[in-house]
Amino acid sequence: MELVVFVIAAAMVIVGALGVILRPNPVHAALSLVLTLFGVAVHFVALEAHFLAAVQVIVYAGAIVVLFLFVIMLLGVDRTEDISIEPFKVQRPMALVVGVGVIGLVTAAVSSSRDAIGRGNGLEIPTVTGDNDSNVRQIARSVFGDYVVAFELTSVLLVVAVVGTVMLTRRIKTGKGES
Amino acid sequence: MLASILAQVPWQAPSIDYHAIAPEIVLAAGIVLIILVDLFVGESKKWVTASLTGFVLLGALIPVLTLAVSDPDARSLFDGRYVIDEYALTLKALFLIAGYVVVLLSQNHVEEGDYYQGEYYTLLLTSLTGMVMMASSRDLVSIFVALEFLSIPAYMLAAWRKRDRKSNEAGVKYYLLGVFASAVMLYGMSLLYGVTGSTLLSEIGRQITVDGDFGGVHALAIVFVVVGFAFKVSAVPFHTWAPDTYEGAPTPVTAFLSVASKAAGFVALVTILYVGVPQAKDVWQPFLWVLAALTMTVGNLLALRQSNIVRMLAYSSISQGGFILMPLAVAGTGDAAGPALQAVVVYLLVYAAMNLGMFAVVIAAARTTRSGEISSFGGLFSYAPGLGVLMTIFLASLAGIPPLGGWIAKFAAFRAVLEAGNGWAYGIAVIGAVNSVIAFGYYGNVMREVWMKPAPNGETRAVATPTSLVAALTITGAATLLLGVLPGTVLRFGDLADLVGAFGR
Repeated sequence: MELVVFVIAAAMVIVGALGVILRPNPVHAALSLVLTLFGVAVHFVALEAHFLAAVQVIVYAGAIVVLFLFVIMLLGVDRTEDISIEPFKVQRPMALVVGVGVIGLVTAAVSSSRDAIGRGNGLEIPTVTGDNDSNVRQIARSVFGDYVVAFELTSVLLVVAVVGTVMLTRRIKTGKGES
Repeated sequence: MLASILAQVPWQAPSIDYHAIAPEIVLAAGIVLIILVDLFVGESKKWVTASLTGFVLLGALIPVLTLAVSDPDARSLFDGRYVIDEYALTLKALFLIAGYVVVLLSQNHVEEGDYYQGEYYTLLLTSLTGMVMMASSRDLVSIFVALEFLSIPAYMLAAWRKRDRKSNEAGVKYYLLGVFASAVMLYGMSLLYGVTGSTLLSEIGRQITVDGDFGGVHALAIVFVVVGFAFKVSAVPFHTWAPDTYEGAPTPVTAFLSVASKAAGFVALVTILYVGVPQAKDVWQPFLWVLAALTMTVGNLLALRQSNIVRMLAYSSISQGGFILMPLAVAGTGDAAGPALQAVVVYLLVYAAMNLGMFAVVIAAARTTRSGEISSFGGLFSYAPGLGVLMTIFLASLAGIPPLGGWIAKFAAFRAVLEAGNGWAYGIAVIGAVNSVIAFGYYGNVMREVWMKPAPNGETRAVATPTSLVAALTITGAATLLLGVLPGTVLRFGDLADLVGAFGR
C-alpha cells in the first residue's frame, strides 16, 4: 500500500514538473505546478507529516500558484510563446546531455550508497499514537527555538523584497521634482 | 483560551545572548528606520538616508568591538548554530567597514543619477545584514537564509538603473543564474541533511568520515554545495554572469558585489569546508584545485582583452577569486589547514581595501571622463595628479607589488600552498605564479594610459571630487598602504583555533 501511494505521488510530482518546463503556454505551466505541489503534499501525508501537507496545499497550491496566475494574466503573457527561435544552436542538445548526465549521476550515487541514507540519528520520527499535535509541536520547537534568528530575519527580508519589487516595477519617474 | 493551551505545552524559550546578536539587531532596526525616514523626507533632502545608513553601519560596529574585547572569547547560541568567535568578528568588521565605504561611494553617484535613494540604501543595508549573519552561521539553515538575505537585495540593486537596458540585463542575468546556483546548493544541502540527519555543521563533521559508509551521495552532496558557492564567488566555469552584471550595474553596486558579496561567498565556503566536511578532503581538494587553476587563468586571459575598465576589473576580480581559492585547494593536506585559513582571511581583508579603492578612483575619474573606456583615462595624472597616484597605488597593489597590501595577501596565499608541500601544491603554486605575471599586463596597461598618454580630446579641467569620495579614497588608500607596511596587523587574524576550536567541532 505504501509503495502504491509513493509511486502515484512520485508520478504526479514528475509529470507536473515536466509540464512546468515543457508546456509553451505559461498558464498551463503554472497549473502543472499545482500537480507537483499536490504530489509533494501526498508524500508528506505518507510520511505522517499532516501539518506540513495541509500547509503545502493551502499556502503553495492555494495561495502562491493563484498569485502566479494573477501575475501571468496581469502581464498579459497568457499566450503560447514561440520558443523555437534558437540563437545558440548547440545549447539545447547540450542541455539535454547535461540534464541526462546529472540524472544518471544522482541515480548512481544514491543506489551505490543507499545504506547510508536515513541512517543518520538526528531524524526524529513523530509518534503516531494518540498525539495528534506532535508535528506542530516539533515544527514550533525548531522555528521558535533553534532557528529563531534565521526565522525572524526572514521576515525583514520579506519586507525588503516587497520594497525592492515595488521600486523595480514602478513606472519610471519623469522628473526630479515629482515624488 | 490561548493561555490554557500554552499551559499544557512544555515550552522552554531559548536563552538568547543579546549582546552576541547586537550587531544584527542594530542592522535590522536600521533597515526599518530607513524605510520609515524615507517616507517623511522631501525629495531634496534624500541625502539624509545616506548619512543615516552610514551611522547605522558604524553603530553596528560598536557591539562588534565590545564583543571583541569582552569575555568569553567565543559565544555560542542555539547549540552552536550561531557562533560569535574571533573569525566571525573579524569578518563582521570587514563587511561593516566595506559597507560604509560603499555608502560613501554611492552618495553622489546615486544623488546625481536620478535613482530611488531611500530604497537603494535599504537594500544595501539588508544585503550587509545577510553578510554579517553569514560570518556567524554554523548551520545549513542559517547559511542558506544568510545567503538569500545577501543575494536577493543584490539582484535588485544590479538592476537599479531602470532606464538603462544594460542594467536590466545585469539584474536579470544575475538573478537567474543566482537562483539556479541556490537551487543546486540547496539540493546538495538536502542530501547532506539526508545522510547525516543534522543541519548543524559540527554534527555533519562528526558524521561524515572517510572510513565507514562514505559513498557517492556524500561526494555528490559536497560537490553540489561547492558548485553553489562557486557561482557566488564567480569561479570559472561558473563565472559567466559576472562581467555583464558588473558592467551593467551602477558602479558603486559593482564595487559592492565584487568585494562584499564575493567575500561572503568565501566565508560560507570556508565555514562549510573547515567545520562541516573537513574529513572529505579527497572530494573537495581536487575539485577546488581545478576551479582555482581555471579561475586564475581564464580570468586573467580574458582581462587582457578588455577595453572597458569595469569589464577589466570584473575579470580581474574573477582572477583574484582564483588566488583566494588557491590555498583552499590544498587546505586538507599536511599542516596547510591553518595557514590556508589565515591566507583566505588576510586576502579577503586586503582585497576589500584595494578593490574598493580602485572602484572609488574609477568613479571619481569618470566624473570627468564620462566614459568607462580605458583609453579615456589617458593623461589622468596631468590634470588630476592625486587620482593618478592613487590609481597607480591600487593597481600596483592588485598586481601584488611590494610593499603594498596586495603583496602581503599573495605572499600569505603562496606560503599556505607551499606549506602543503606535495605535487598538487607545487603545481597550483606554479600556475599562480605565472598568472601573477600575466596580471601585470592589464594592470600595467591602465597605468601606462594614466601616466604616458595625453588626455583624449584635450580634456584638462578636472571635476572636483566630492567629500564623500575623498573620504572613501582616504580610508581605502590608507588601508592598502598600512596593510602592506605593517602586515602584522592582519596576519594575526584568522587563526585556525578560532574557527574550529571553541564550538566548531
